[in-house]
Amino acid sequence: MIKKIYLIGNPNVGKSVVFSRLTGVQVISSNYPGTTVEIAKGYLTLADQKVEVVDLPGTYSLDPTSAAEEVAVSLLKELPREEIAVINIIDSTNLERNLLLTIQLIEEGYPVVVCMNMCDDAGHRGVHINFTKLEELLKVPVISTCALTGMGIKLLTERIKEAVSAPKPKITHQQRWLEIGKIIEQVQRLEHRHHTFREIMEDASVRPVTGLMMAGAIIYAAFKFVRFVGEGIIAHITDPVFINIYQPLLEKLSSYWQEKGFWFHLLIGDLIDGKIDFKQSLGVLTTAPYIEFGMVLPYVVSFYFILSLLEDIGYLPRLAVLLDNLLHRLGLHGYAVIPVLLGFGCNVPGIMATRVLESKRERFIASTIISIGVPCVPLQAMIFGLLGKFGGFYVGGVYLVLFSLVIILGIIMNRTLTGYSPEFLLEIPPYRFPPLLMLWKKLYFRIKGFLVEAMPVVLLGVCFINILLYFKLFDFVTAIFAPVVQGLFGLPKEAVVALAIGFLRKDVAVGMLMPLGLSANQLFIGATLLAISFPCVASFVVLGKELGWKGLIKSTSVMIGISLIVGTMLNFFILR
Amino acid sequence: MKKISLVQIKPEEKVNILEILGGSNLESKLLSMGVYKGKQITKLSHIGLRGPVVIKSGRSILALGHGVAEKIIVERE
Repeated sequence: MIKKIYLIGNPNVGKSVVFSRLTGVQVISSNYPGTTVEIAKGYLTLADQKVEVVDLPGTYSLDPTSAAEEVAVSLLKELPREEIAVINIIDSTNLERNLLLTIQLIEEGYPVVVCMNMCDDAGHRGVHINFTKLEELLKVPVISTCALTGMGIKLLTERIKEAVSAPKPKITHQQRWLEIGKIIEQVQRLEHRHHTFREIMEDASVRPVTGLMMAGAIIYAAFKFVRFVGEGIIAHITDPVFINIYQPLLEKLSSYWQEKGFWFHLLIGDLIDGKIDFKQSLGVLTTAPYIEFGMVLPYVVSFYFILSLLEDIGYLPRLAVLLDNLLHRLGLHGYAVIPVLLGFGCNVPGIMATRVLESKRERFIASTIISIGVPCVPLQAMIFGLLGKFGGFYVGGVYLVLFSLVIILGIIMNRTLTGYSPEFLLEIPPYRFPPLLMLWKKLYFRIKGFLVEAMPVVLLGVCFINILLYFKLFDFVTAIFAPVVQGLFGLPKEAVVALAIGFLRKDVAVGMLMPLGLSANQLFIGATLLAISFPCVASFVVLGKELGWKGLIKSTSVMIGISLIVGTMLNFFILR
Repeated sequence: MKKISLVQIKPEEKVNILEILGGSNLESKLLSMGVYKGKQITKLSHIGLRGPVVIKSGRSILALGHGVAEKIIVERE
């Protein structure tokens, strides 16, 4: 009786895509090793019985060499062999490397079904595999699938029950590779062909000169695209909807309001020149939805589109190779670009992705750098929206300050922290071009995630701020911190509220700076400080989970110290 | 036959692995990825200033940090 089904395989063979196909549970999949840092679980109905399916992190063998691999291997041992089935997912374009794990699984007596995934891609690359022969040699069911399109998945579920335990005497890895060599000779035929354009691009992107040129062009194009599409959505979709449809509705509503008391203040906020101003009114029905939908969401859409595209094509590991050098100086290695880039979307998944890094020290450095120097999309969107009108100089300035901070801080942490940073060792996937539908699904999944997480916090946050402001409860906090904010940072004392709100949500916090009538320089300082200082509450919680409370305190004190220093320095250099 | 480390050879050179220095942890990790004594590999590129080395082993492309690449001793055909 099968109680649990485990999906196991080398990193980046499409386990998560197979998992989604089997269970209908949507999980993020990308074209780089280590996308799955959390164990995903779902259910599959097998012969009228619900069976749990577990998606394990990728592993090259059953002798774990990293934390993620250890998790995978220990989970396999939870239940007796008779009660589980193991689906071993293989990248058909690279059968040889994948077979080591297969052979080991069979030796250990796990009931194995082999799922030869990405078989369409193998065909394109001139790799031909004789599946019947492979099944004969391995003596376990072998099914060819293409999880992206769903081909073969049905057959896979039908044949799971054929998996049986048949342990074999254990041999060494060296002997296994010899055995694999013999198998490959009998089942795989490689078509000789000239380098395709795709292969030429794959090679060029990891060579020093061409690689750096490509990286520069891709990053520049990505940045331009995010701004172009984000601004396009605002100018042509969200702003017209807000101004032409939503505002007249609200104006009508507010004109019925005779007495402009507490509820008016809470829902509509302040009228600016007798009218609702989405950027300044600060009401639950006015500024809150405008910040989320009219200023932030357009950039969330464009950013995640580009990120998902680069992820699925498989460009990011190549960027990791090129940046390994620089990141070494910061005590990290190339692969840290993945958590950092995810952090640009939202710090929470970024900090969680630091699990792909091996040592505690690396994870501390990467998480601290992400919380200090990597502004999330909502914050960036607000910075574009607010500072953009004063010219690209100010927007660029914020990035310049953050970038220099990351470098300086990284160098200092690398010199002072004890512990080790292991060497870079990474498999570079081939370029793949997933169907657009998959890209849309992933984008939809991420945008939905953003809205579900952000909306309640934003609405409740603005509600909360308005109540505190109405009853003048902020005055106390303002009075305490006014000397710091006024004296050191050169901002008006009302900015204390905005900086405090930064703990709740960064986008709302920048929004709070809008009605203060700050000069361009003051806005620049305020926005930079919001980026550096305390992370928002969600990242704070994740930071605590990943680093432990000691790490959290250490990381937080670095943040507070840095914000004080940077705020003061900017004030003295720019304002005075 | 000359022993030489992976960082010293030029890109596009095909070599055989003679030895992997630097402890059993690294060796077993590389072994499970299909890089082991006697295996033929091709160096693809090398990012300067102590950057990583990219190799092709079988059908896999692997990026090795400079420190790892230094520990892989190879011989030219």
